[in-house]
Amino acid sequence: MIAYRLARLAVVLLVVTFLSYVLLNLLPGDPTTQMLGLSATEEARAELRRQLGLDQPLLVRYGAWLGGLLSGDFGTSPITRVPVAEELVERLPVTLELLVAAEVLALGLAVPAGVAAARRAGRALDQALTALGFALLSTPVFVVGVLLILLFAVTWRVLPATGWTPLSVDVGWNLTSVLLPAVTLGCAQMAVYARLLRTDLIATLQEDYITLARARGLSPRRILWRHALRPSAISLVTAVGLNLGALIGGTVIVETLFGLPGVGRLIVDSIFSRDYLTVQGCVVLISVGYVLVNFAVDLVYAAVDPRIRRA
Amino acid sequence: MLRRLGPAFWIGSAWIAVVLAAGLLADVLPMPRYDETLAGPPQAGPSAAHPLGTDGLGRDVLSRVVHGSRVSLGVGVGAVLLGLLVGAPLGVLAGYRRRAADAVIMAGTDIALAFPALVFALAVVAFAGASLRNVLIVLGVLGAPAWTRLIRGATLSVAQREFVLAARALGARDRRILWREIVPNVTMPAASYAFIGMAVAVVAEGGLAFLGLSVQAPTPTWGGLINEGRAIMENAPHLVLAPSVVMFLTVLSFNLVGDRLRALTAVRESGLEPVRRAAPASLPTAPHAAGDVLLQVADLRTHFVAPHGTVKAVDGVSLTLERGRTLAVVGESGSGKSMLIRSILGLLPAGQVLRGGKVYLEGEDLTAYPPERMRRVLGTRLAAVFQDPMTALNPVRRIGTQLAEPLRVHRGMSRRQARAEAARLLASVGIPDPARTLRRYPHELSGGMRQRVTIAMALSCGPDVLFADEPTTALDVTIQDQVLRLVHRLRGERDMAVLLVSHDLSVVAEWADEVVVMYAGRVVERGPTAEVLERTRMPYTEALLQAVPKLTDPPHRRLRVITGRPPDLAALPSGCAFHPRCPHADPRCATETPPLIPASDPPPAAGPPAAGPPAAGPPADGTPPAHQPPPAADGPPSAVTPSSPAEPRPLAAAVPPSSTAPEHLYACWHPRGAGTAITEGAESHGR
Ligand code: SF4
Repeated sequence: MIAYRLARLAVVLLVVTFLSYVLLNLLPGDPTTQMLGLSATEEARAELRRQLGLDQPLLVRYGAWLGGLLSGDFGTSPITRVPVAEELVERLPVTLELLVAAEVLALGLAVPAGVAAARRAGRALDQALTALGFALLSTPVFVVGVLLILLFAVTWRVLPATGWTPLSVDVGWNLTSVLLPAVTLGCAQMAVYARLLRTDLIATLQEDYITLARARGLSPRRILWRHALRPSAISLVTAVGLNLGALIGGTVIVETLFGLPGVGRLIVDSIFSRDYLTVQGCVVLISVGYVLVNFAVDLVYAAVDPRIRRA
Repeated sequence: MLRRLGPAFWIGSAWIAVVLAAGLLADVLPMPRYDETLAGPPQAGPSAAHPLGTDGLGRDVLSRVVHGSRVSLGVGVGAVLLGLLVGAPLGVLAGYRRRAADAVIMAGTDIALAFPALVFALAVVAFAGASLRNVLIVLGVLGAPAWTRLIRGATLSVAQREFVLAARALGARDRRILWREIVPNVTMPAASYAFIGMAVAVVAEGGLAFLGLSVQAPTPTWGGLINEGRAIMENAPHLVLAPSVVMFLTVLSFNLVGDRLRALTAVRESGLEPVRRAAPASLPTAPHAAGDVLLQVADLRTHFVAPHGTVKAVDGVSLTLERGRTLAVVGESGSGKSMLIRSILGLLPAGQVLRGGKVYLEGEDLTAYPPERMRRVLGTRLAAVFQDPMTALNPVRRIGTQLAEPLRVHRGMSRRQARAEAARLLASVGIPDPARTLRRYPHELSGGMRQRVTIAMALSCGPDVLFADEPTTALDVTIQDQVLRLVHRLRGERDMAVLLVSHDLSVVAEWADEVVVMYAGRVVERGPTAEVLERTRMPYTEALLQAVPKLTDPPHRRLRVITGRPPDLAALPSGCAFHPRCPHADPRCATETPPLIPASDPPPAAGPPAAGPPAAGPPADGTPPAHQPPPAADGPPSAVTPSSPAEPRPLAAAVPPSSTAPEHLYACWHPRGAGTAITEGAESHGR
């Protein structure tokens, strides 16, 4: 089981790196133009290409790059002359903190909301929460971000609109600088999670074992939290893994919007400066992260549902 | 069908239509051009000339938003069509062909999911050039895997249905099957997803535009407008608010329309649909006397408010139960017997259920108890075991945790005490190695073991009455006998009463002291088991007896030999509810409801003529016909109280006071005499 999954993981990663490498390299646009400017002579460009190894066949370059990856060498950006791995290591904590904060906020609000809605399915509170969730789900992340900035940073001036204080410098400032971005990023996730949990919980509450728990005279609160929540949380766990892709896409926008020095911002910057190598490094990092998180999700599954342990 | 879409669908559609029309007519609408600078004063708020104000260069914001809709909707519609074109054929192929094609295609979508889509879109658009065409292609292709998954799922479910399998078996050409059977069935989910997909594409395009990677200036886009407005948000918030609101409304509309379309076909509800709610009033109860017995159920009614009418699952059932006795409730599935148990225990889903009648436990009216007090009765004095041991235990909690819980809640035991008691309980229901079983999960036990566990759980707090709803139907025949033997033994040891619901008359004959036969939510025959089974009066009971499985039958066979189907509980037949299926029915049966008649009395067939007066009224409305007074309220309690409120007066007097030997009663205008067998119809209908 584990061996199979690991093999699958390797295949997925191989395909993703290959596709991203080939596709990015086939796209029009020449990094030498970016580096030398439009006025450079053709000879100078050819010389630079040779230096960068761009005159080699595509597959050879991919092989060399992949070999480097395995030893932790993501190459050195020809534009910024900084090793890509170094850049990633520096920026990853920002993005990770943003992602974790967004997930924690989303789950922290979605679970009570989903439970409250399922408990009184069809009542006013449920309908209000459902409508709210639908609205959140329909608001693009940059709209949420801009509106939050307008309210909290421009109108009330209680939170900074942009900027980042690392956790190591000042915890308080760090939290203030991550709050708005995390809320922005987590909003839509919260709606997704709450909706899922509500649906599953309503289905669980109709199970025989719930009726029998009631027949044993247990209180509704105990039944809800101790009996119904865990069996209902399975698709929620899956959703957390699968939505990571959407969430990472969101960090690109959120980091740009709030000026956070994370991986998302790095992607946008390197795309604008035609820095293929850095973009590829980011794509690899994100794909590996996505696949690994979903791998972990499968393990969490087993903790949530004992039936899976033996399968 | 259109009605079911609800207002949200129409409002969403209307808004989409408005945006679409505005985008198409943008050039001819009476407003400044989107790129006309100084059409008004720069950064001015909304005014009559510029309903959404002007931007930093004095351009009309409304005009820019309207022109922006061309890009947004163009990309939305275009990307969805492209994704459909690429993804749908693959999905149909994977779902219909399965095997290799399926494996390859699904692995492909797995990989596509691991691909950071937005990052990739960014890179492609940035390197290949930010043009409408490129954005459209990228978003379309990136949306294709989702289409493949959706269409595959829908195809898969259709392709396994009988008509498609049959068509394939008959050698119909694949192309024909696909067009005739599969495509129409996949259309609805696809239409729904198309709108959701448009919402996704509009948001994605907005994101690209916000980052400056969609259609380039001077063409306005919604995302671009929001990004531009950001810089001067402080002075002119309308610059970001206007495109934000329009974008939100558009995405919301796409989602709403998609959701409503999905609701037409999906079983699961999204929560946006209106809920039908029963009036809180409870149903009327016929007057009765509370007797001095362990459990008395008087005129119990349980009605559900369903879209197609009121379902009368239990309609005026009365019964009594003494310690140390077993009462069996028999009937086909759908006769209301399971609902009877849930109704007695007050375990009905809140909201759409009406309950009437009373339940007395040693003279105390349980229906008047507040929930808190009722919970103390449940589990300690009343306990239940359900049919399917697979679903009766919580799959994610250990046996020990589940078994110890009521002990700790109701009997205030410590964790250690509860565990010891739980092990003792498991041993008492004949589970070997209780200590190990406590640490197990339900799925690790066999069906028979699980049912023993549920029985142990029901008995944990020493109940007075055990409600067993088909406790052995899901089990193997050999296990069935063991479990029933166990229940019987425990009944004796604990001096309990058992209410056994079953459709299996051989089980009833062996284990029950008294039997109540239910049909269409009402009692149609009752009495001591031997009496009822040997001298059946009511043709329905007779038919049930004929349906008892023979040894040669395959196990778990359902009752199918009774002609016809159980009636629709929302629209009961008039008169005797059994008359459409009864081989002895005559016109009178179709017009008048027979009351419960003591078997000792001569049958009342000599009463009113067959074509009885219509004054009997439609009995399905649940109220006693005017000319038939309810049973006397001052009558002494009886072991078997009258069932129907449409009881003739003489009966109340005929019931002996506090009799422990119940009388044989039946509801039929034309009873079968003792030993009369129904020969016609029964066997020949065993499909
Ligand atoms: S009253 Fe008796 S004979 Fe008439 S339909 Fe009903 S069961 Fe049959």
